Amino acid sequence: MAEPLLPPVSRRGFLKAAAGVASLPLSTTATLAATGGDSRLVVVLLRGGMDGVDLVQPYADPGLESLRPALALSPRSGLLDLDGFFGLSPAAAGLMPLWQAGQLGFVHAVATPYRGMQHFEAQDMLETAEVEGRAGRTGWLNRALSLMPRAGQRRAVDITAAVEPILAGPNPVDVWAARPDLPLCSDEMHGFADLYAADPGFAATFADVAGAGAGGLFDAAARRTAIADMARQVGVMLNGDYRVASFSLEGWDTHVDQRGQFPQAAGDLAAAIVALREGMTPAAWDATIVLALTEFGRSLRINARGGTDHGAASVAVLAGGGLSGSGLSRRAVMGRWPGLQDEALFDGHALMPTTDTRDVAAAVLHRQFDITPASLTGKIFPGLAFDAAAALLQAG
Amino acid sequence: MALPSSILAARRFGYGLKPGETPPGDVDGLMLQVQRGAAAKPRFPREGLAGRRETIGRMLTVRAVEAKAAAEGRPNPALRQDMQAEVRRIFRRDALARMAQAVSSENGFFERLASFWLDHFSVSARKAYEMRMVVPLFEAEALRPNLAGPFRTLLRAAVLHPAMLIYLDAEAPTADAAAQPAQNTRLARELLELHTLGEGAAYTADDLQAAAHILGGLAVDARSLEVSFRPAAAGATRLALLGQSYADRAQTAHLAMLDDLAARPDTVRHICGKLAVHFIADAPPEDLVADMVAAWQETDGRLDAVYRAMLSHPSAWDETPGKIIPPFDFVISGFRSLERQGGEFSAVARAAEDGNADWRQAAPVARRGVAVEQPDVAYALTLEALGRMGQPIWQPPSAAGFPDGAAAWLYAGQLRERLAWARLVARTLGQGLQPADYLEAALGGTARAATRQAVAEAPSRVQGLTLVLASPEFNRR
Repeated sequence: MAEPLLPPVSRRGFLKAAAGVASLPLSTTATLAATGGDSRLVVVLLRGGMDGVDLVQPYADPGLESLRPALALSPRSGLLDLDGFFGLSPAAAGLMPLWQAGQLGFVHAVATPYRGMQHFEAQDMLETAEVEGRAGRTGWLNRALSLMPRAGQRRAVDITAAVEPILAGPNPVDVWAARPDLPLCSDEMHGFADLYAADPGFAATFADVAGAGAGGLFDAAARRTAIADMARQVGVMLNGDYRVASFSLEGWDTHVDQRGQFPQAAGDLAAAIVALREGMTPAAWDATIVLALTEFGRSLRINARGGTDHGAASVAVLAGGGLSGSGLSRRAVMGRWPGLQDEALFDGHALMPTTDTRDVAAAVLHRQFDITPASLTGKIFPGLAFDAAAALLQAG
Repeated sequence: MALPSSILAARRFGYGLKPGETPPGDVDGLMLQVQRGAAAKPRFPREGLAGRRETIGRMLTVRAVEAKAAAEGRPNPALRQDMQAEVRRIFRRDALARMAQAVSSENGFFERLASFWLDHFSVSARKAYEMRMVVPLFEAEALRPNLAGPFRTLLRAAVLHPAMLIYLDAEAPTADAAAQPAQNTRLARELLELHTLGEGAAYTADDLQAAAHILGGLAVDARSLEVSFRPAAAGATRLALLGQSYADRAQTAHLAMLDDLAARPDTVRHICGKLAVHFIADAPPEDLVADMVAAWQETDGRLDAVYRAMLSHPSAWDETPGKIIPPFDFVISGFRSLERQGGEFSAVARAAEDGNADWRQAAPVARRGVAVEQPDVAYALTLEALGRMGQPIWQPPSAAGFPDGAAAWLYAGQLRERLAWARLVARTLGQGLQPADYLEAALGGTARAATRQAVAEAPSRVQGLTLVLASPEFNRR
């Protein structure tokens, strides 16, 4: 085969993509590695709309600096170079050893089919993968449990407080409740501030709450520690019987002060992945893929409050020893980069989606659990074609 | 847009809205709640009134036996510890039952009145070991059945209950009572300043001393908790209070004094004003209080008439939200708003029986099972939350009860605890709930545009639900 279907994005790939390589030939013939009975999957939901262009910055795209000068970084200003075109936010520096080991991957310009701007609807789409949310809907991860060929792999755990929509459905899921006092994240702080703006008594009191710092309701360091502790424990659980786990990380709704807020959320994500690995035996980690997904990306333009409003495509984060030997371990950012020139933007302001989030999830489910393309496109992600998922899995 | 009066009434005179409940929107409907509530059996004490008296008797017997054995050099610490653990367990179940009572009751105005009078006649379960058993009994048998009748009946029931006498230091009669005339200055002072005449009322040191001497005849038996009255020896001291002599009343001097105090103009004014401040506004309209005083005088002190007068005044239905609701009201309103199927709170209360706050010190581990079934989470949402917010059940800070000013409950530590609670309860009980639907269920049209917007734009559903509970309109009434 001359070209991978979805080549790693390089400067050359970018130019090629920008030149209009769009249609994908049907190909599901690639031998996609079957795994043993101990594959593990961790799905991390990044709630709030993660700015994928801030996490994985296309520093070689000239549009970046002109669209968002206050957020754009380059390797000279601290961005961690990934592949000569993209670089990782320094806030997520904790992940770089995984990148160097071939245990970290990114698929850029990823989005669900949802193109609205509402968090709740978008999260429903992300978790249920149904175009129209219906009563009694099930989560795609729960549907996937039915199709895992070995019963032993069906042990799933949701680490929150109750079963979240992604794991809701007919298959039994264990819930482990995180401790009740996780400090709140900074996007929530701004939500409260807006809520209280017109009530002077509450506004003044809340200012004291928000400014409390260490030990306070918004203690960022304590939050980081609590998230890492939780993720480490998930890792320990995956050493045992559990094979599928899911949890959420919040803090991504950076309408205000993105330079201040985003590094916190990105650091939380990195800390969670690192801690997850710490909790696992090397053998378990080698059989694990972590998939971190968000409901939508953010506008490329900075708003009047130093933040970014809702956008379209973002980046999917993959990690784990289970990436090795698959197309998901390329040491180059995957996906088709749509470019940042004005005519390439979604709705004139956001990153244009070029890969469906479901394709990434389907590729991972196939890789980890041998779920057939027919099942993936029939039962888990109805209406999806498998080509793009297959392309992602082909060794690059 | 005028707010439906039923929604205003549920929030101002009850513990807020509950899905599936149709709150009354008029005076008669609220007064029917009072009537029904007074006749209903509360969920505490869990073993009922007679059952609780038996439990208390058993507990006091065990204690006496153990004390006697210890005095004879045969201490049995295990027996004492078992009993103490049993008392703690019973107290916790009662406190959770008090929450369940407020969450589940359809007589919201009655429940609020019960809390008002519990605060007015403050007694604390912390005062003594046996008080953990006695205080729930006090509320159930002295206050609730009497809060819709004449004030003097309520006053007698409250002041002469062993809970009050233990709390305010009535001592058991000494063998040689004649040697030193008994007096209970503390009970006398709280009776005059807090229970009846009110702070700043015109009474003299002699009046206070007379009351102390009369009340000094009250005693609680340590074994049976029975209250007895022994009149002061004739001529031992001056037994005249506010111009009324009780010297010749012998066995009923205390009752006569309580009845007279219940009818004093200062008392009427004090009680009516306090009710108006609690339910209507920090500075209630003068004519509102005057209406209530008139109702009192027309009915010889019937409290139901006073409540009706209060509810009949236009200011009772003024839509301006004002006072910050106290912690108990906040938590109860929150749980009520989340009773979707019914039984949500019961599940939390069941789990909370076995929880404690140890998790705050423990390793930060996740616990298996949904949060609502986790004893520590359930405990954090119920009794621990009320403690951290400064209003633990049946444990007021002093005889004066909890503060009731408009902003008494608005400070950083309070708001922090409320936000943390809102977040936790949203995670725990809010699964599958649409924030916009929940906003309607909890606020019923009182939501401001800013709140609607913040909720609709929240970064996650959990945060959307949290914002509803955190909103100024949920926290004010």
